[in-house]
Amino acid sequence: MTSAASASDGSSRRGAAASAPASRWLVALALIPTALIALPVIYVLMRSWGAGWQAIWSELARPRTLRLLGNTVTLCLSVTFFASLIGYAAAWFTERTDLRGKWLWRVLCCLPLAMPAFVASFAWKSLGPSFQGMPGAILILSMESFPLIFLPVAASLRSMDPGMEEVSRSLGKGPGTTFWKVTLPRTLPALGGGALLVAAHMLSEFGALALLRVQTFTTAIFQQYELQFDNASAAVLSALLMLLCLPVAFGEMWLRRGVRFSKVGRNTARRGSPARLGRAQPLVMLGFIAVAIVSLGVPFGRLGYWLVKGVSAGRGLDALGPALFGSLSLALPGTVVTTLIALPLVLLVLRSRGFFARFADRLPYVVHGLPGLVVALALVYLSIRLLPAIYQTRAVLFAAYAILFLPLAQSAIRASAELVPRELEEVARTLGRSPLQAFVSVTLPSLAPGLGAALALVALELMRELTATLILAPTGVVTLATEVWSHTNDSAYAAAAPFAALLVLISGIPVYIFTLRTLRPRTDHQAL
Amino acid sequence: MYDVTRRQLMHLGVGAAGAAMLSGLPVPARAEDQTLALYNGQHRPPVEALVAAFTAATGIAVVTRNGNSAQLASQLIEEGANSPADVFWSEESPSLVAIAEKGLLAPLQAETLKQIPAKYAARDGAWIGAGARSRVVVYNKSMIEESALPKTVLDFAGEAWTDKVAFAPNSGAFQQQVVAVSLLKGRDVALAWLKGLRQHGRIYNSDSAAVEAVEGGDIAVALSNNYYWYALEQELGPENMNSALYFIGQGDPGTLITVSGAGVLKTSKKAEAAQRFVAFMVSAEGQAAIVGAIAEYPLRPGVVSPFPLKPFDQLDPAPLTPADLGDAAEALALLREADLA
Repeated sequence: MTSAASASDGSSRRGAAASAPASRWLVALALIPTALIALPVIYVLMRSWGAGWQAIWSELARPRTLRLLGNTVTLCLSVTFFASLIGYAAAWFTERTDLRGKWLWRVLCCLPLAMPAFVASFAWKSLGPSFQGMPGAILILSMESFPLIFLPVAASLRSMDPGMEEVSRSLGKGPGTTFWKVTLPRTLPALGGGALLVAAHMLSEFGALALLRVQTFTTAIFQQYELQFDNASAAVLSALLMLLCLPVAFGEMWLRRGVRFSKVGRNTARRGSPARLGRAQPLVMLGFIAVAIVSLGVPFGRLGYWLVKGVSAGRGLDALGPALFGSLSLALPGTVVTTLIALPLVLLVLRSRGFFARFADRLPYVVHGLPGLVVALALVYLSIRLLPAIYQTRAVLFAAYAILFLPLAQSAIRASAELVPRELEEVARTLGRSPLQAFVSVTLPSLAPGLGAALALVALELMRELTATLILAPTGVVTLATEVWSHTNDSAYAAAAPFAALLVLISGIPVYIFTLRTLRPRTDHQAL
Repeated sequence: MYDVTRRQLMHLGVGAAGAAMLSGLPVPARAEDQTLALYNGQHRPPVEALVAAFTAATGIAVVTRNGNSAQLASQLIEEGANSPADVFWSEESPSLVAIAEKGLLAPLQAETLKQIPAKYAARDGAWIGAGARSRVVVYNKSMIEESALPKTVLDFAGEAWTDKVAFAPNSGAFQQQVVAVSLLKGRDVALAWLKGLRQHGRIYNSDSAAVEAVEGGDIAVALSNNYYWYALEQELGPENMNSALYFIGQGDPGTLITVSGAGVLKTSKKAEAAQRFVAFMVSAEGQAAIVGAIAEYPLRPGVVSPFPLKPFDQLDPAPLTPADLGDAAEALALLREADLA
């Protein structure tokens, strides 16, 4: 055990340098996602460059570009605002009041996660033109994305010591003041993290907006590919979209900056006395019911309607098995790959304040707003030239999945990683463990909740991913999402309904896991 | 002891990750493998019907990659010389013209081209039509009388039609219609028409969305392809339809013949089988399989569609061929100028 002696000898003096070998490993591992993410960026810049300054400038100077910018920003901000409002209110009512039937409302607030936006939008658009256009899109997308706010906020309210609020109340502050001065600031990082995911989603949303007839940068990029085959102006719009993602990417960093997550007393979180709703009780319940009707009732009702009404009901049903298998065989390994690749990025940025660490950590958020189509075409172009042997294999598709959804995994893993005191790993090292052993025995188990949440969240997105799957999946592979698309493309809505229903049902599994992980009291983590 | 367990666990983890990566590795194709790779942008029912008939007749298996025609054309262009595709079947001819202009298509066999009238294929024989459609006007019967519909598609851009006309600038067929207006009436008329539509009409994401909006009573009239209406009629049942088709005729660009079609990739390593596939598409058997599954007109003389289509020889369409309409690049310039793209 000579190594133990030298390690303990060194660590006392060298402090931060003790983890130098681990960092080098981490940097090497973090290069993988960074290189992957760089691919579409290079492709977009290369294509924009190929267009020439003249074309770039004339694209930027068009009044239409300004209009698209206006629409994109309006949609992004409005949906984020309303989703935050609904998500926060729902979390507060289910965690901090004496509302009856809380478990039911919690479940209803998580289920919309399982509903792909294109299924919901399709249902709404068929109800009439008044739900189309910008106001309709804001309503529907807010209702479908508020769980991304509800879950982290509910979890943070739950793990927060109610003692703080009680002290405030005992000092004579009203419930309003207590909320603004005590509760809200402590839930702000959770709210912000969720809000930025919603915002990034809105930048790259296509399917729902196409159905609801709203034009944004992303729909314009898809339109360019419909109209033209050598795509300079799509590249210029994509570059603009990446610029729009910058505030989102750095906004999250800014929100997290300086937040010291209190670890002391985490295990002592207990139930405080809930706020009494009194006569408002039925009113609040009505609110929850209204949200459930909009986000779940209408889409499910519409699926049922087509199943009964459509002549094509049952057509292509024999593809249900292969499509389910296809979905799982792409989404599950894709999820594992994405989550594994995200891990070194998170660990690196928590351990190193260097430029590369911060850059590597932010880059995925910048690319997260790019439409799947652009990422997929970038991978077609590059893989067939550099590595033709892997073209149209799952490897390239998994790379695309990772590029598109890394930030989801990063956010979820970081939520856990931040809670692991680094000193623990250093203690393990002083006890003679190698950096890898120290990581595996100390850090990894504590990351389990975050990894679980990351797996569930990414699986959810991959299950419904359409564009990259169509372009990059091995020829002949079908998934539930591609079948829904195919049948609706033929106006065979009844034929599409079982595939859509199964997609929602299967998505319920990761939603259930994610909900359980997130809303479980923090004290359980140690037992995992 | 504890350490060993950890190590075993780690190996398990590495093994699982390795297996995940391995499942992505390519399986080397057998040398004698004649399976064709078909890139398909056409609606699936006619393609599935044709592939089944082709495989039954020739024993050659076909693997289909489904997608949107324009996106598949973009993909083929990005793939370039390394494309694994053998045949490209497109919903619209402009996507075929675009990849032909990039030199990606091999000439079709003369015997194949002879099977249908020459005006429904590329002039140089790079691609061939498989089925014909007509641009039509779909109207909601309870919102407007057929007699109130205009004698030319140009009228729809007028103020009288404010909020009554649905159109889809993204649709390949609409773009062909724009080129047709420009060719027949002049560029200025086409531009003014588009500007009028933008001002008074309502934009939809696709022809089928526009047709559904008319059927659902959201809007009175849509510019579309005939088969989207038949697809919806099949889904809802003929007795339930609130909308109907209106053919302008009289050589007006409101009634325009467009085709779905196919070509063989120059880089195909199974060129012979690929040529057989395209030849089969225009054979009597192939044409019957296609028009049995989608409301398109057969291009081969003597084949009859089971759908209650308005007879092809009574359409009196605009005097233009799919080849005249080309890759519809002019439409893009016009759409951009009219601020629709």
